[in-house]
Amino acid sequence: MSLEIVSQLDWQMVTEVVDQEFGEGVTKTLRGRLMPVSKKSKKGISYYLVSSDWMRFLQNKFTDFEPAHLGRRFGDIVEGRFRFSLSMLDELKDVTPNHLVVSGKGAEAFTYGRSILKESVVEVAPGLSREQRVVVLNKHGDCLGLASLTVDSERIGRLGPDRLVAKNLADIGWYIRNE
Amino acid sequence: MAEKKRKQRAKELAKEFGYLPYMTERYLALWGEEETLSFLEACEIAPKTAIRINSLKMPIEQTVRRMKRKGIALKRVPWLEEGFTADFGDRTPGSLFEHLFGHYYVQGVPSMTVVKALDPQKGEVVMDLASAPGGKTTHISQLMENTGTVFSIELDRLRMRSLVNNIQRCGVTNAIALRGDARKLDGLGVAPDRILLDAPCSGEGLIPLDPARKRSKTMADIRYCATRQDELLDSVIKTLAPGGVLVYSTCSIAPEENEYVIDSILGKHPEMKIIQIDQEFGVPGYTQPYGVSLDVSLSQSRRFLPHIHGLEGFFICKMRKEGDR
Repeated sequence: MSLEIVSQLDWQMVTEVVDQEFGEGVTKTLRGRLMPVSKKSKKGISYYLVSSDWMRFLQNKFTDFEPAHLGRRFGDIVEGRFRFSLSMLDELKDVTPNHLVVSGKGAEAFTYGRSILKESVVEVAPGLSREQRVVVLNKHGDCLGLASLTVDSERIGRLGPDRLVAKNLADIGWYIRNE
Repeated sequence: MAEKKRKQRAKELAKEFGYLPYMTERYLALWGEEETLSFLEACEIAPKTAIRINSLKMPIEQTVRRMKRKGIALKRVPWLEEGFTADFGDRTPGSLFEHLFGHYYVQGVPSMTVVKALDPQKGEVVMDLASAPGGKTTHISQLMENTGTVFSIELDRLRMRSLVNNIQRCGVTNAIALRGDARKLDGLGVAPDRILLDAPCSGEGLIPLDPARKRSKTMADIRYCATRQDELLDSVIKTLAPGGVLVYSTCSIAPEENEYVIDSILGKHPEMKIIQIDQEFGVPGYTQPYGVSLDVSLSQSRRFLPHIHGLEGFFICKMRKEGDR
């Protein structure tokens, strides 16, 4: 599980995938002046953003030690699909309009790993298509996780209260469930 | 107290409070009857829950207001700006959304105090050893305001998962978490400005939190831990930059894992000197435990004791390596 500085070509691929879903320039804003580093594992590739000052440490290869995390975890490519890390979602919410706001009850259910029903939806960004990924927020603007719409956002108003609106992809309850 | 009489009294106390006899015998030799009784009684009471407010996610006062609105009673720990004892009423400390958001970390007061004693500065290279589940790593990053570099090193694969979770939950971005044996730090090629070694120990200070520890560890376990602690310190001292600061701590009250270990290290490493901890807390470390004379500078180390402070037992010693940084 060695670390590698991500090549320009590979980063371009990540950028295209992310920007296509969350808006032009989102990847560049999130990256800032940090350097992308990748770690391959059996499950896929994880991307991290680190300070370029850390080149001096990375060059030493961490002999006798196995890197588990460094800097900020940007996301992972698993089975060919990119998924943001939970810790990036707080920043992502500020640079993308793709939000879905849920009620208090919906927030509770979502952070227990449940998907989102129509009755929990307080607000959703307009013009989003089915399968679009959205950042899930509570009414105070706190980030709860990431979900994938199961219907076009314009159709949500017409659904019954118990109909599925968005599938849970990642939620902050995972921090506790995964311990 | 004569040895025979002490052994007899130790057996009686061990039976009454549910300890292994070797433990109460050591307490009697260390403290005498009155203080031993006071200690044993204090260990029957769990310390208050404490939390550290994480300013990496939100300013401290804002989180305090938010939690008070939810009915959580908070009281600041005098020597810790970010540390509070907390009454969650009928809720569990980890059940609030603010916990999931990383606004606070449930952590004992002594564990927070260790990091305060380390006093990490912005831009430095700091190493936290035996670091899972990450309370101290995330606290170090908080005090460094996510600048510099924190090497967080843990051997246990399962505990590593909690460490990484907590790093991410708390918004830490200046940490490098590595799995490996802290006795092999040479391979990293890093000379940190500060190292925190909260060493694996018998946990004899945690009896107020976990009564099972009254009977779960033998004297052989304490000896094993002391050997391991000595090896870890040897490795750490070699790695520390000249002029660098080392904080050694354990959640054990046993002098065998604390003052004895440090006394031996001071003998082997004349370049290491104990220095004063800036914060006012606890009581001085022992210089004559069980009547054995140790380095007098050990009085600058600090102890938390359940019967004096109402907290879990802890030992903290701050040292500096000679040389210029």
